[in-house]
Amino acid sequence: MSVLTIKDLTKVYGSVVALAGLDLTVEKGQIFGLVGPNGSGKTTLLGIILDVLHPSAGSFTWFDGVEGSHVRRRIGAFLETPNFYPYLNADQNLSLVASFKGVSKPPLDNLLELVQLKERRCSRFKTYSLGMKQRLALAACLVGDPEVLILDEPTNGLDPEGMVEVREIIQKIAAQGKTIIMASHILDEVERICSHVAIIKNGKLLATGAIGSILSNRPTVEVGAGDGEKLFQFLSGLSLVKKITRRDNRLLLELEPGTNHAELNRLSCEHGIVLDHLVLKRQSLEVEFLEITRK
Amino acid sequence: MNPLHLLKMEWSKYAPNGAFRFFACLYAVALVLVVYLARSIGKAATINSYGVNNPIQSFFDFPHNWQVLAYIGSWMNAIILGSLGVFMMTMEFSNRTLRQSVIFGLTRYEVAAAKVVWPMAVALAATSCYLLLGLAWEAHDEVGVHLPPIGCALGYYLQALGYLLLGTLAGVLIRQTALATLGFLAYVLFLESVLRWIFYLNVGKVRLLLFLPVQLLGGLTPLPIPDSVNQIVYSDPATMPLSTSEATAGALVYLGLFAAFFFRRMSKSDL
Repeated sequence: MSVLTIKDLTKVYGSVVALAGLDLTVEKGQIFGLVGPNGSGKTTLLGIILDVLHPSAGSFTWFDGVEGSHVRRRIGAFLETPNFYPYLNADQNLSLVASFKGVSKPPLDNLLELVQLKERRCSRFKTYSLGMKQRLALAACLVGDPEVLILDEPTNGLDPEGMVEVREIIQKIAAQGKTIIMASHILDEVERICSHVAIIKNGKLLATGAIGSILSNRPTVEVGAGDGEKLFQFLSGLSLVKKITRRDNRLLLELEPGTNHAELNRLSCEHGIVLDHLVLKRQSLEVEFLEITRK
Repeated sequence: MNPLHLLKMEWSKYAPNGAFRFFACLYAVALVLVVYLARSIGKAATINSYGVNNPIQSFFDFPHNWQVLAYIGSWMNAIILGSLGVFMMTMEFSNRTLRQSVIFGLTRYEVAAAKVVWPMAVALAATSCYLLLGLAWEAHDEVGVHLPPIGCALGYYLQALGYLLLGTLAGVLIRQTALATLGFLAYVLFLESVLRWIFYLNVGKVRLLLFLPVQLLGGLTPLPIPDSVNQIVYSDPATMPLSTSEATAGALVYLGLFAAFFFRRMSKSDL
């Protein structure tokens, strides 16, 4: 089942094209990451599908084209910074969100427990730290047990501890089988949490698919030796090395698929070069992202 | 979503707000205080007249007392309720909660409807305040308690609602609390009058100018001055104050226009 189908979505602000004919489909149960550099159009895209921005052209449908105002109540979302009434406490703010969604008795205890805010439930929102605000926003998203969650930069501005807490909460929610659409420029976060990803730059979709299909299967190793220049000359001539990138005094090698890094070590030794550093690097979304966005 | 649900929602939003409570208390206290002062001055004038039939005295007798009270209340409506209307709107923009309520699941239509239904309830509360004060006044005078003429109460309600919506409109257009309040008060207190007089001096006296919003809303609660006096004061028929029925009809049109503009703005603009 398609949860969200976007067709040719365009948003223009004067002379700036924020979205340029974007097509995207999110299926039920996916944890879908929207990644792109700052200003790539991620928040604009989320703003349009949440009805706070009007598209200049194109269209989108939720839940296989189901219509009506109640469709939006099946979605929990927060966009950019968490916005609540600063003079209300967590209970009051969440009750208000429940009334927006037409939910009569929200399970506030459970929600506040999940986001670890139960002890501060009676404190006013304005007294919360940024991490607490983000967690309250997550709780608000969950009011009414929505099928889809939309999270825009959920760990933005958090300290490392806060980031871990929020990620853990998202992973708990994802384990419940909900569809999550998450925009982030923290690629490591997307790689850890998401099952699918779309890479956007300048309002254009550059790549989309399962994380595994975006990441290439070429092994990457980092090597080093006493004579770095000699090592570089030697490796440049090897057919099994597809690409060499200098990284400080080490070399990052992209090998041909199926190449064993032990083979590289053996060949180096045979040519009188002793490797003092050889690390097999995990193929990261960051590498792919940079490669795709720099094309 | 039914209007009652929207009302409940707005109540949960504003009732705990300090500024909202301040405006509500200020309105009630200022109204009582000004009425008390006006009555004291009226009484003093009556005593000083040494038994001569003083026209000021009749101002404070039924049914004129209700009109005087409404006239005094009209200043509170313009300044306090209007500013409250501005604040209720700009608060949503400064906290970005209007946008957030759409993100959380309200439709734009429901957001707009809430912003029209809520001022209707606040105006009703203000009118209740006017009625209670009027009844207390009558009870205090020990001349028997009379209910206000229906036109008086209706005019008061429409005026309170009109200023609230005018303030809301200023809030929607300017979005920043201090600027919007200044702009609103400047327009209500002198800009519209200045505009009217500039038009009078350069183009001529046109009766249509009495239908400008503030002039018209003021016309809903006029001082109980007899027509004969008005005819002397306003020699030109074009500048004669609007009749209550003209003002009521005009106010209803304005209220419709304010609401329509608000709905359109909410549905068409990016939040």
